[in-house]
Amino acid sequence: MPKLSLMFEGRTVKEVPIGSRPVTIGRSPDNDIPVDNLAVSNHHARVYYEGSRLVVEDLDSLNGTFVNDLRIERATLHDGDSIHVGKHSIKVDASHDAPMPYDMGRKAAAPSINETMVLDTKVRRDMLQQAAAMGERTQFASGRFKVPTVIVLSGKTASQEYVLTNKLTTIGKSSMATVRLTGWFKPQMAAQISQRDDGYYIGPGDKTPTVNGTPIPGPTRLNDGDIIEVSGVRMNFIFRE
Amino acid sequence: MRIVCGGATDVGQVRSNNEDCFRLVESLNLFVLSDGMGGEAHGEIASALAVETVVKHCIEAESNAAAPTYGNPPPNLNASTKRLVSAVYLANKNIFNSAEAHPEQSGMGATLTALWIHDNALSIAHVGDSRAYLLRTGMLEQLTSDHSLVAEQVRRGIITASEAEQSEMQSVLLRALGTQSEVEVDSEEQALFPHDVLLLCSDGLTRMVTDPEIAGTLQAETNPQKAAERLIAIANENGGADNISVIVIRLEDESKGWLSWLLPGGRKHASSNGSAGGH
Repeated sequence: MPKLSLMFEGRTVKEVPIGSRPVTIGRSPDNDIPVDNLAVSNHHARVYYEGSRLVVEDLDSLNGTFVNDLRIERATLHDGDSIHVGKHSIKVDASHDAPMPYDMGRKAAAPSINETMVLDTKVRRDMLQQAAAMGERTQFASGRFKVPTVIVLSGKTASQEYVLTNKLTTIGKSSMATVRLTGWFKPQMAAQISQRDDGYYIGPGDKTPTVNGTPIPGPTRLNDGDIIEVSGVRMNFIFRE
Repeated sequence: MRIVCGGATDVGQVRSNNEDCFRLVESLNLFVLSDGMGGEAHGEIASALAVETVVKHCIEAESNAAAPTYGNPPPNLNASTKRLVSAVYLANKNIFNSAEAHPEQSGMGATLTALWIHDNALSIAHVGDSRAYLLRTGMLEQLTSDHSLVAEQVRRGIITASEAEQSEMQSVLLRALGTQSEVEVDSEEQALFPHDVLLLCSDGLTRMVTDPEIAGTLQAETNPQKAAERLIAIANENGGADNISVIVIRLEDESKGWLSWLLPGGRKHASSNGSAGGH
């Protein structure tokens, strides 16, 4: 059975198997793993199986729960991970008879699937929750949930600020352009910003925009803080928190 | 703008049946494509039902704007996009109900990607991993997000795009029509410009033909029917592992004489049934 080992200064203090019931961690003695330390909240965190995946969840503790040094609210655990609460660490041993959690982070040797299939509700829920948990990890590492935004610094446009919600954002005079340029002799479609799976890219339209002063050679990936200039309009591309 | 279109479908080199389905409704400038799945011939039933439902619902709405709307389309969308979302939502219901009523159809499903053009406004509704692309100023941009596991992994930064192309999980969808009683339909609106080229295709094309090959073919072959057939031929040359369906739509400038270029906004004069030749 998979187990959690409470470690303190390199020694194993307590071992608790993980069964069908959540394993609770906290300062209060009614926890499965009581941790006598003032930095630990009374009911600090819990570890449990959700489908085949092992999850740790912080219970709004004051000083936080960490997995491998990353503060988490909720995260998927893997064999060998360390959970840190206060000065204590808890080793995750999921190697024995543990249901093999499906790991979206590593390329598991998956069966070859030729036929298109849709994940059934349960598998799909598990996978998405796992992905969400991983998203929480990475989001936590990089700050907060971020919204791509274009802020107009100078030049005539219909608004001063645009949140990029579409796959394709057009910049131009067209009445349907997202970032609508106003004034004489503006192109209908000066440039466009497209959302691809790996980020936001700016490409030319009737004009070639510059990014940070350099004309773009083709679709160019935008980074947080880039300055875009096209048809006399200066814009700042940012990921707003 | 003048709209010309063409479409074709092919069983590919490996499969014995074609589960794809598409329709060009030129009178409405409505374009619908679906890729079915399920054992026996049920994928074909699902994709045909999906396309038929969407086309029928949109045609009905053209003559009766008060026709009921399904699936609570987002309020910020225009009437056509709302109608298209409603149609896709209804298609999901129809496939799901058919599978409930006929146990042998259990598990059948379909992707659906639909484009509807009104003047220079494009409405998009989408579920699954068929795709809509826009070729504009030489750049090919995907207008839809794949509802597949690998695409979701790329978006979350878990794997790279090239790892996704190698993944054995490419056929795993997170969303499709007919597998649940309710479905979330992606929708979007875009401005169209003369010389834009739109492409609708099933994954049998995009898994076999690279983006640069697609862009190159669409630029080289200006007859949309021939471009669709050429793309299918390339997919088959590259292995044709799945059914391949392609719709190509080109937006052409209407000739207005040299004076039109002096008028502000001269290039946006739009009409859906232009008679004059191209450019």
